[in-house]
Amino acid sequence: MDLLIPLMVIVPIICALFLNLLHKKDRTIKAIAITLALILPLLPILASYGMHYFGGYAPLTENPTLSTGLPSLITGTALKTFHPAITYSFQGAQKLFIFILGLVAFLAIMVSLFETKRPSGVYGFMMFMGVASLTAILLTDDIFNFYVFFEIAALATVGVVLVSQVKGNYETALKYMILGGIASPLLLLGIALLLGVTGNVNITDIISSLKSGMVNPQNPVILMACGLIVFSWLYGSGLPPFHTIKSAIYSKALPHGAALLQAFSVFTFVALGIIILRIFSYLPISQMIILGVSLLAMILGITMALLQTDIKRMFGFLAVGELGYIGLGLGLGTAYGITAGLFQAVNEVLITAFLFIGFGTIYYQTGESDIRKLGGMMIKTPLVALLVLLAGFAMAGVPPLNAFQSKLMLIQASIQAGLPELGVIMILMSIVTFMTFMKAFHAVYMRPKPVELEIKNEKIPQATILALLVFLAVCILFGLFPHLVTGFLQTLSISLAGGMP
Amino acid sequence: MTFYDLIVKRIKKAQEADSEGPVTNVSTSAMLTAEITLISSLLVALIMLRLVSNVLMIVAVLVVLFAAILSMPLMPRLKKEQNDSLFNMTFYVVLALTIVIVLFYWGSLNV
Amino acid sequence: MIIDTQLASLFTAGALIVIGIFAAVFLDNLIKKVIGLAFIGDGTNLFLIAMGYKPGGIVYIYLPGMARDWFAQNAAYPLPFAMVLTSIVIGASTMAVMLGIIMVLYKKHGSLKASKILGD
Repeated sequence: MDLLIPLMVIVPIICALFLNLLHKKDRTIKAIAITLALILPLLPILASYGMHYFGGYAPLTENPTLSTGLPSLITGTALKTFHPAITYSFQGAQKLFIFILGLVAFLAIMVSLFETKRPSGVYGFMMFMGVASLTAILLTDDIFNFYVFFEIAALATVGVVLVSQVKGNYETALKYMILGGIASPLLLLGIALLLGVTGNVNITDIISSLKSGMVNPQNPVILMACGLIVFSWLYGSGLPPFHTIKSAIYSKALPHGAALLQAFSVFTFVALGIIILRIFSYLPISQMIILGVSLLAMILGITMALLQTDIKRMFGFLAVGELGYIGLGLGLGTAYGITAGLFQAVNEVLITAFLFIGFGTIYYQTGESDIRKLGGMMIKTPLVALLVLLAGFAMAGVPPLNAFQSKLMLIQASIQAGLPELGVIMILMSIVTFMTFMKAFHAVYMRPKPVELEIKNEKIPQATILALLVFLAVCILFGLFPHLVTGFLQTLSISLAGGMP
Repeated sequence: MTFYDLIVKRIKKAQEADSEGPVTNVSTSAMLTAEITLISSLLVALIMLRLVSNVLMIVAVLVVLFAAILSMPLMPRLKKEQNDSLFNMTFYVVLALTIVIVLFYWGSLNV
Repeated sequence: MIIDTQLASLFTAGALIVIGIFAAVFLDNLIKKVIGLAFIGDGTNLFLIAMGYKPGGIVYIYLPGMARDWFAQNAAYPLPFAMVLTSIVIGASTMAVMLGIIMVLYKKHGSLKASKILGD
């Protein structure tokens, strides 16, 4: 048993509480927060694969010392295979996802500390708390534990928006909470239905009772549970009809906050998507719904992005639209498609954070995010302009950057699965995504500068440029050596596809 | 008057009714692109109905194509539907909930 | 006629959820909307706890002097109770944040009308 597995959740929670205590001591907060944030990406690298049982013990089959002397009522039935604990499972895919989450969190926290005038302990608290809950969401094998951290992540999201002091943030946060107040109890209801039918909240146990015939898989109660969980999946990741509120949330956060929030959404999408595939993949309708919703997210997200005039809102909608690619990969149901989808998830987290922080420099310098009032920033910051352009190339899938590899894999997977139409739509959407990006890029950097635009901060902090360079380096690395990523994902995707390579 | 001018005129009319700043070159072309993307991706997606039945696919594509062309500036209307008012959002959320539950319930029992 | 306790709880839970969704969507006053959301949460909690109900069961505390097999056969299922407790805490904190935001918005707009504050 590796002690580092629970530490991955505990460390960010302790960081969060600690930063909150140090409220108003600016220098100390800066130094401590950066050191602590650096631990986040390091922990998953150092930890070794394994399971961790919170408040309980391993299943009796794996634990012969405990099972001696127990009545045959327990050892002779299926009870011996059940997991009597909150189980955290740390495997290759989790290692990769938590590393990427930690990296984005570290860079976003670093940028936020240098871009805000007075680093606030509360803001750091919210960011760390969100990271802790997302790490738990990725690790947990217990669907009720998932729900708990799902709610904490939603509260942390609201917190990041509330402290941003962007105009209209309170209204948007309340809208998000009201919609969440409808959607998250329904997730709990879905979990309650699963508990009522199978008597378990551990996902592995639920699957084994469905597979072994202890429970009728076509039971209408289970179908209802699946419907409710899919619905809360839409809410958690911002798929339609939640795409408007999710993009509004991104646009009301500060750019570094938005960079972290989109990582939260993508990883919630991936984690809950994996749960749905694991439990309900025997229902053909679940894959059809994943495909349909992803297509809708792509079409609505990207066409709406094209019509926006606020850069942050535009990239908010693009972030939602790009989720569609991941969903298409997962919905295809083949191992290759799922690997491609998860690879795309990793790339999207990196690239969208890259874009948010890159375009965030404009907001930092001018305090303005309406493209109609911006222009001529290329002369002020040629280096950042180049980096942002490269981020745009990465998002559109230009080789040798990372999204090229994953989008190519996705298109190949859709052809292999006998649905080449999806590949056509993906290419079409890539082109429109790039056009949306160029619209923003042209308006911000290449147009002559409007007279009334005033520059508040001349100099961009070195930390921001460093963060952008790190993002670029990772994008190029993953683009040149895609097997670095896919190697971690293969085991998971083969098991999700039902053992078929 | 060419077909392009006709489309631009209709988009302009719809945008002016929206009264969201002046109609610029960029916003018109963005609207036009969004419109074309929406219709074309919808049509391509409909081709997947061939897995159910070829005849259904042909009929559906033709019907959607004509419906889309007849009600041409779709995007302004779609944009208005996806606005930021809470009532609209909750309405679509409850609608989505109903659709998902019905699909799972009937779809799984009858497929 | 005595109605089955579990069935009655499930029906009440369903009614609470439906009433809550109705209130959250159609009532215009923000506080009433939040009360509607509380209804949804409470309905879910009631549903969850009804899952652990056992007719004629005992509290799942193993006291000295109880026979092990008798306890195993008669104790109620403890898992839903633990879950409901967590869920209530989460619901309370979410509610507190929501009401806090509403206070700020009321000071800013001088009104609690959702159509005015949270409109387009």
